[in-house]
Amino acid sequence: MIKDITIGQFFPGNSFIHKLDARAKIVLTLLYIIALFMCKNFFSLLLMLGFSAVCVFISKISPKLIWKSLRAIIFIVLFTSALQIIYNDNGEILWKPFESRDFAVTTGGVFSAVFLAVRIIALILLSSLLTYTTSPTMLTDAIERLLSPLKIFKVKVHALAMMMTIALRFIPTLITEIDIIMSAQKARGAKLDSGSIPERMKAMISVFIPLFVSAFRRAAELAVAMECRCYTDSASRTSLKVMRMGIRDYISFAVLGAVIFGAVFTSFYKFSSMFIFEPVM
Amino acid sequence: MDKINAMTHETLIEFSNVSFSYDEDEENIKYAVKDLSFTVKKGEFLAVLGKNGSGKSTIAKLANSICVPSSGKVFVKGLDTSNSENEIEVRKKVGVVFQNPDNQIVASIVEEDVAFGPENLAIDPKEIRTRVDDALNAVGMYDRRFSETHRLSGGQKQRVAIAGIIAMRPECIVLDEPTAMLDPKGRADVIKTITALNKDFGVTVVLITHFMEEAINADRVMVVNDGRIFAVGTPREIFIKNDLLKGCGLELPDTAKLCEELKKSGISIKDDILTEEEFVREIVKLAKKTE
Repeated sequence: MIKDITIGQFFPGNSFIHKLDARAKIVLTLLYIIALFMCKNFFSLLLMLGFSAVCVFISKISPKLIWKSLRAIIFIVLFTSALQIIYNDNGEILWKPFESRDFAVTTGGVFSAVFLAVRIIALILLSSLLTYTTSPTMLTDAIERLLSPLKIFKVKVHALAMMMTIALRFIPTLITEIDIIMSAQKARGAKLDSGSIPERMKAMISVFIPLFVSAFRRAAELAVAMECRCYTDSASRTSLKVMRMGIRDYISFAVLGAVIFGAVFTSFYKFSSMFIFEPVM
Repeated sequence: MDKINAMTHETLIEFSNVSFSYDEDEENIKYAVKDLSFTVKKGEFLAVLGKNGSGKSTIAKLANSICVPSSGKVFVKGLDTSNSENEIEVRKKVGVVFQNPDNQIVASIVEEDVAFGPENLAIDPKEIRTRVDDALNAVGMYDRRFSETHRLSGGQKQRVAIAGIIAMRPECIVLDEPTAMLDPKGRADVIKTITALNKDFGVTVVLITHFMEEAINADRVMVVNDGRIFAVGTPREIFIKNDLLKGCGLELPDTAKLCEELKKSGISIKDDILTEEEFVREIVKLAKKTE
């Protein structure tokens, strides 16, 4: 069950998106997210959503996987949308359930709810695409390069990147371990699935303590194994894969630039009465 | 490379009166290894046999400067391991593979993990590429080079860990119970890989284990008990000393056990049978005799 988590996983492939430089991909994703929050109307938002849909198509990642990552956040989407409907009282009143109260569902509320939902979906779509198409090592390598200016402030950028690589590497291992410990504790009579919430939390202690102990033991063994392979924290390392910005990356920047320009342009230019609803956030 | 050519008289690792203790406590100190002296020759396949707690794992850590002797010296190609300046040089020459493959794989993708060692040595990316490919071919994992490490079976993970060490091109590989956590299939694959590395690629191998059948292909077997060397010899010489091995808490290989049982029930069979093939041949011979 827990093994179904796909966020942060990498699916090797050979597509245009897979071949992009990891640094370029991170910067592109960040630019995309910023642009997403500058969109003011549906037309610009649909443009952005369309862009990420095209990216998913090009990457050849199966829609099933995309759905899996979206399913994980569906609750957050519904919750924030509901809040919008409840608290936003701009526009015409559509439905007033209680005569005595101020509360009403308004056109502004509905639109901002849908608007927010689309925005979050677009955001998750592209950022999960980033981790799906980039190997964790490439991702951390890229973060290391992007953060390297911080070295002048004596930040140990390399150590940070190595920590991230190892953390990502151990997520599946520890998840498997949780499953094993939970089964073992259930076999010993631990009630992990029944009882009141405080009782269940207490029962979970019997899962987490062994998990921590084993994680520390693993860390100690891993440290020795890394030392055996000549790892030192001095940063004079090379890398199997050389990062080089190529024509693909420049094309991607140009395309995203055009999309963002289009989105921002339509945000400020009201050319159709269809899009007059400007949600107030 | 031919086995006979690969084996020379050049000493690769030398343990000279080595004692080591994990305790800091000076009084009633307990040594993991005590007064150990032996050498590993370039190109040989040495098996170190011993039960749990016999000090055999400590030998692995002493061989590449992860642990430094409390007294005595360890030399790798003449380099003193207790001198911290030699640390990296020593580790380049002697690679260690540990018991649990999960706790020695650093990266999420097979080929990236194999590249970890060469990357640490600041080797040119093109050279890393050839080393990674060669290493993965040598352990038969080239087809899985893009796989995620956590999706592999135990035996496959351990072969990736071995490739990670081979890619650093060490002169000697020390394997500390590499098969202890594997199923029979994984165990057979790993032992086959190790044997091939020694026979086909001329890599010096020190295999630390408590499974006696894994030591059958070794050139020399060293039995360790209570941190001391108990016996040294060829597998044939060692395996006929049943009582001695049992005293060290070791279990005989299946063929040897069967021979012993046969002898007990009054059938005269040869003493030094190691492999199943030899055993079958001997039985056929006996059967013909009785006809």
